Amino acid sequence: MILRLLAYTPFLDPMPMPGGMWWLTLAPLALGIAVVYKAIKLDDMRRYNKQVAMMTTQIIAVMVALAIGIQLVVGWLTPLLGG
Amino acid sequence: MTHHTIHQSADERFNPVAGVLAYLLPGLGHWYLGEAKRGLLIGAGVLWLFFGAVLIGGIDSVDRVEDKWWFVGQAGVGPIAFATDLVHQTQFKVVDSRGQLQTPPPGPDAKASKSIGHANEIGSLFGAIAGMLNIMCVIDALWRPRIDRRVRIRSVSASEGTPA
Repeated sequence: MILRLLAYTPFLDPMPMPGGMWWLTLAPLALGIAVVYKAIKLDDMRRYNKQVAMMTTQIIAVMVALAIGIQLVVGWLTPLLGG
Repeated sequence: MTHHTIHQSADERFNPVAGVLAYLLPGLGHWYLGEAKRGLLIGAGVLWLFFGAVLIGGIDSVDRVEDKWWFVGQAGVGPIAFATDLVHQTQFKVVDSRGQLQTPPPGPDAKASKSIGHANEIGSLFGAIAGMLNIMCVIDALWRPRIDRRVRIRSVSASEGTPA
């Protein structure tokens, strides 16, 4: 892993991601979406920061809830139905 | 001022210059419309996502030839996406054993390496979302009245006691 990090050239090579850590990229993705969406949606920009924080949290919370739901279906319900 | 300045027609609101500027550089259309802060936030958000794409997936996550459908989304970012793809196609691809132009696999001689797995998927996704969000911003800029015109409408409405 250290060797991969040393060989990594930002913006040219794909970022080395330790196994299972890719989901952490959800946070900057949700933040970027909220920053742009709220910039065109809001008329009153005084509420902007609060609205961006709220939307980012909502996206992450919904995605986590969906992940838990799908994990329950795939990991628990489907094997149960399959006998 | 007359009452009909309050009720603008669709033609008066439609602003193709703002739309073109918004596509040329994310946020520039809103800046042109007098909304510098909104334009800066749009530019920061779209470019954050686009350069996040290249940071996570490498330059190989923007590829007009090998990932055509992802690029359809990414192209919404504007000339920056096309320039990134051009640099990728011309500076970092090599001819493989089958004679096809490819981004090389990781190696000591490779200037940039092939993006695969989660890094490629997430990089492509970031770029495509950036492009689609910028298209939303272009549409918003096309139909958003200039801020000086809105201030005038608001002041006329206030003086005549009608809601804006």
